[in-house]
Amino acid sequence: MERKQNAQPPVVEIDHVSKRFAKVLANHEVSITLHRGEVVALLGENGAGKSTIMNILYGIYHMTSGEIRVDGVKQNITTPRDAMALGISMIQQHFSLVGAHTVTENIILGNVRGKIDYAAEEKKVQELSDRYQFGVDAKAKVGDLPVGMQQKVEIMKALYRNTRILIMDEPTAVLMPQEIDTLMEFIRSFVAQGNSVFFITHKMREVMQVADRIVIMRNGEVSGTVSKAEVQMADLARLMIGHDLEVLSRSEHDEKKEAVRLKVDHVTVERKNELPLLKDLNFEIHAGEIMGVAGVSGNGQDSLCELLYGALTPTSGTITLDGKDITHLNVAQHIALGVGYCASDRHRYGMVADMSLSENMMLKSSYLHRWDKGGWISWKSVDRYTRDKISQYSIKAPDAGVTIGSLSGGNQQKAVVAREVDMGQNFVIFDQPTRGLDLGAINYVHKTILGEREAGKSILLVSTELSEVFTLSDRIAVICEGKFMGIFRNGELTTEQIGMLMAGVPIEELPERENNAEEGGAADGLKGGQT
Amino acid sequence: MQSIINLLTRAVFMSTPLILGALGEVVSERSGMMVCAVEGIFLGGAWGGFAGAYLSGGNLLVGFLSAMIVGLLVALLYGFTTIYMGQHQIVMGTAVAILMTGFCTFFYRVIFGTPTSPLKVSTLKKLPLGPLAKIPVIGQIVFSQNIITYIAWILVPLISYFIFRTANGLTLRSCGENPEAVDVAGINVRRVRILAVGFAGILGGVAGAYYSLCNVGMYTSEIISGRGWIAFGICFLGNWNPVGVLIYGVIFGICDALGNYVKALGTSVLPNELFSALPYLLVIIMTALRRSFNVPAKLGTNYIKEE
Repeated sequence: MERKQNAQPPVVEIDHVSKRFAKVLANHEVSITLHRGEVVALLGENGAGKSTIMNILYGIYHMTSGEIRVDGVKQNITTPRDAMALGISMIQQHFSLVGAHTVTENIILGNVRGKIDYAAEEKKVQELSDRYQFGVDAKAKVGDLPVGMQQKVEIMKALYRNTRILIMDEPTAVLMPQEIDTLMEFIRSFVAQGNSVFFITHKMREVMQVADRIVIMRNGEVSGTVSKAEVQMADLARLMIGHDLEVLSRSEHDEKKEAVRLKVDHVTVERKNELPLLKDLNFEIHAGEIMGVAGVSGNGQDSLCELLYGALTPTSGTITLDGKDITHLNVAQHIALGVGYCASDRHRYGMVADMSLSENMMLKSSYLHRWDKGGWISWKSVDRYTRDKISQYSIKAPDAGVTIGSLSGGNQQKAVVAREVDMGQNFVIFDQPTRGLDLGAINYVHKTILGEREAGKSILLVSTELSEVFTLSDRIAVICEGKFMGIFRNGELTTEQIGMLMAGVPIEELPERENNAEEGGAADGLKGGQT
Repeated sequence: MQSIINLLTRAVFMSTPLILGALGEVVSERSGMMVCAVEGIFLGGAWGGFAGAYLSGGNLLVGFLSAMIVGLLVALLYGFTTIYMGQHQIVMGTAVAILMTGFCTFFYRVIFGTPTSPLKVSTLKKLPLGPLAKIPVIGQIVFSQNIITYIAWILVPLISYFIFRTANGLTLRSCGENPEAVDVAGINVRRVRILAVGFAGILGGVAGAYYSLCNVGMYTSEIISGRGWIAFGICFLGNWNPVGVLIYGVIFGICDALGNYVKALGTSVLPNELFSALPYLLVIIMTALRRSFNVPAKLGTNYIKEE
């Protein structure tokens, strides 16, 4: 849609702003404009400086040089309070909500003085929720609300302050597909009233869905500004990462021909007087097969991984790997049988940040004979092994002796993946293997996973990113509240249908499935861009 | 009957500093600051209160004012090192508490030397509240106390109202639950926290001076002997709620009074020391037995922001 903006100055002009943290140049000469009634998407990989520049606009960080103008007037925004006075609000990626307080208390925080008239404030907040059809209860405790609702509370905080410039940092990261659509509708109607939105994301599909203009950032600089009408996804990807993405291909696979390696037979995990963590799981993974597990996070994925890794013992049922009963084996015995586990939170479960790359590489296998030389660890062989992995996985590290914490997130994850793939000679569990990684690293991890599949390993892939599940999996299991809603061949269901299963709608109640072929094709088309 | 009334009167009397200290602790902990320097603040208050009163010729108002100042300074020392310098709250709090034991003993000797007989000031007088004091039983137990006790009791509803019904109270509670939310709402988290800690320091200073100026009329280095920690525990037991603090404060006051009472009686089947140990034992037992805690989520965690 063309707009005539010449009459009035842009709502926001960020003019050659630079920001330097102690050592790092986070933003370099960034210039972005935002007009009335416009959605500008900030697209870029992690660490590209998108959030930093927006946090400068919101007064959380202070710029090193440059200028910000609002409505054509130069402004010195030093605190969020200054930003709010100008009608700017920002919804952080990790919500800034007080879980123990009610919706109303969260919304009025910082916006009221003196005595609080709770009845009147609750009424006001409820009216706000009703006007936008958010369905949020003003008296509900925020900690009890699902994530999608919490985001609406964040939006209401901004609306309550009469925001006209709304900044949203990765707003869709935590949402289910249906919730994303609702959010997009809200954004469109919000700007239709003459407001403006900055939308930070690293997902190209969303950009195409909601933005009027797209600002692409790379290494702290603006690498391009394009209007949605004149751009292709492939171009966006190139602008984001600076080179073309390698297109992944997954050979077709007939699991019936391959031997069953992992077999989970009627497994339930429950603690006394509690809801079962996992309920009657029943599945097999064949050799050379990737089974994706789709679900909203917190629906038993963690327990499932722990179960298959031996950290959790089933209450009933059996698990076999290559015909051997592994139900009651402990973690060390699982490792010895060639089970690898790439945990979702590598900082907590995958690595020790202050230890060297070499030490991290043998973190789970320090007792193996391969490093052993007369009862002492042979650092020579550990370092040699680590250097091999550094070159094999093109990990950007100066040496095997540097602490793993000093590497970038993507390179840390590459190291952890390298170790786990090596440990898991038979079966590898990937739990959110690309969470928080940028496009290039995601591409690399995906390539590695597909490579392991070709090598005949069985792979379980847990992810809350549907696109990732679609790109890699042979079959897809949908998990909801510790139960499998069903297992389907990739392409059998549409994104929307999977989304509904994730939300707990039983398979029998799904709407018509006639458009499968077409929708599946669309999803395939997106894959190239999404990876 | 009269002995029970006497016991309860004494219990209310002894509960006052615990309630004051714990109320300050509630306010600071609601903001996320675990002021475990409270033992040191009490001691500083007892010392400062006595020094102020003695040097002004027995003027208790000067005594309590200097106790407030000393309490505030000790709390600010703790507050600046933790809030602005990012030091660990528990380590710093304990360090400040230990520092104060040495500080008070040393400066007591610097000012007063080593007197052969203990220096004394006359203690704060009771202030019977006119006709209210004439009500049977209650009159003596509740309405014939000193002014500090009345202030402590009035502070309970006032602080309750502040915490739960005002905008600043909401900000305070939010600082303890999710300081980041407060920050992005445009409020200075550090300032809220240092104010809360300072308030705890003032109340803690008065509480400490209560022991030297209301109870015994003199200062010894053992005058607090862990009562600051009991106030700290009462804040937990009272579930970070002023009313809860009042209830548990009185319970511990009864224990304290009972110990003294049995000691004064002189004859008992059980050893006196057991009764003296009662408050300390009780705090352990009751804390261990408590199940549902309403702990502020970010209690004890510093809020550090990259600029």
